[in-house]
Amino acid sequence: MAMVSTTRSTVFSALIASAAMLLPSAKSAYADAAPEQAIVGMKYLNYHDSQSGDTAQTAGMSRDRINVNALSFMGMVPIAGKWSVAATFIEDSITGASPAYHSSGFPSSNAKHDASSGASGELRHAGDLTVTRYFSRGTLGLGTSYSQESDYISRGISLNGTLSTEDKNTTLNLGTAYNSDTISLDKPAVVASKQQVAPGRKKVYSGLVGVTRVLSKNDIFQLNFTYTHGHGYYSDPYKAPDVRPNHRNMFTVMTRWNHHFEGPDGTARLSYRYYSDTFGVRAHTFGAEYVQPLSKGWELTPMVRFHSQSAADFYVPVGAAELANPSTPTPPPVGTLHYSEDQRLSAFGAFSYGMKVSKDLGHSWLVDVKYEHYQQRYNWCINGHGDPGIANFNIRDIQLGISRKF
Amino acid sequence: MKKSHILSWASPLVLMAMLSLSGCSSVQPWEKQNLAKPEMTFEADRLDTSYTEHIYSSKEGASGGSGVGGGGCGCN
Repeated sequence: MAMVSTTRSTVFSALIASAAMLLPSAKSAYADAAPEQAIVGMKYLNYHDSQSGDTAQTAGMSRDRINVNALSFMGMVPIAGKWSVAATFIEDSITGASPAYHSSGFPSSNAKHDASSGASGELRHAGDLTVTRYFSRGTLGLGTSYSQESDYISRGISLNGTLSTEDKNTTLNLGTAYNSDTISLDKPAVVASKQQVAPGRKKVYSGLVGVTRVLSKNDIFQLNFTYTHGHGYYSDPYKAPDVRPNHRNMFTVMTRWNHHFEGPDGTARLSYRYYSDTFGVRAHTFGAEYVQPLSKGWELTPMVRFHSQSAADFYVPVGAAELANPSTPTPPPVGTLHYSEDQRLSAFGAFSYGMKVSKDLGHSWLVDVKYEHYQQRYNWCINGHGDPGIANFNIRDIQLGISRKF
Repeated sequence: MKKSHILSWASPLVLMAMLSLSGCSSVQPWEKQNLAKPEMTFEADRLDTSYTEHIYSSKEGASGGSGVGGGGCGCN
């Protein structure tokens, strides 16, 4: 009963936070229309993450972790004013290592480089295709996705639709998706206790319902609710100790508001997401960016983001013995069915800032560059108690893009 | 648990009913030029959003919210 009361109060709080973003005189809405131009684009990502031992408990834990170079392509073609076909393709090249538990347990330098636990040298390919039909008052889109790496395959299908009022001021958003994942458990880097010939499998079903409204000639607002049910293999094959439940249900409330300032011709884009799942993770995520066009086709977009999450119910924090000797993980409490020492399931706050610069080159060519810096700290959590035994986690990424419309 | 699921699905219906009843004047089509700007959409740069959301969902315990669909990965 306590869990139900807590869930009800947190959902209500999320609704209040979302309603606070509504202007008192909600007016009209804006609905997607069939695109008039085709577009092709390419974007390169250079990603680097690391951990830094900035406290007495984590001194000596500083090290580089994962590097990613990725190249992605997208194309969208309108057809006969009533259809569009969009596709994306991406190739990731991943090197480096992630910890097996907390901020420790990295593979030794002479370990065989195999799969993506964090042992070096992994390629991932992914693609998706979406076909959309445009009606006078709505859209219907069918999508499919596929992602493959040496130890993980993900297949997905989705159906999304919108339905607008006659004046196209209010738009109902509906969506549903199904994903089926296969996880290889016979790779040498899989921890011994999880090694098996038969792969792990995971099936995830999700649904979305939302509304988009134009509140004024300079304001557009969106509110989305999503619910996801998943069952199957959720443990991490490369982490130990790590045994997770075989199901995970997730619920989100997301609000987004875009406001255009006529004076400077700039646009503020604000967002808030509340997240809750049956692992026990609760999260609040705030995002803000400001798009400012400048002369000669330049455009600047500074951005900030803050994310805070509580720990999963079965997260095991760093114990005194592990603090003294990080080469051995903290034993899970005796008799517990589920446990994990994955940093991503701990309580933390994360702050990121970045800047995107784009330039219209003329003749429908557009280039852009984006830089983002991100840091997780246990003591930045605002809705839980962080684990002081976890080192700060840092990300730096740069994106370079080019696109053209036809 | 069942009560919280019912509440989860009742909440959007209540909120959408509230939105449909509020306000009385409407923005005319010829006033929507600012709304048509790319930066006023919610998915302005598909590839940027794809990279960024993939990074966040791979390194945090929460994910999703803006849409459904797309694949997973064994990202670590």
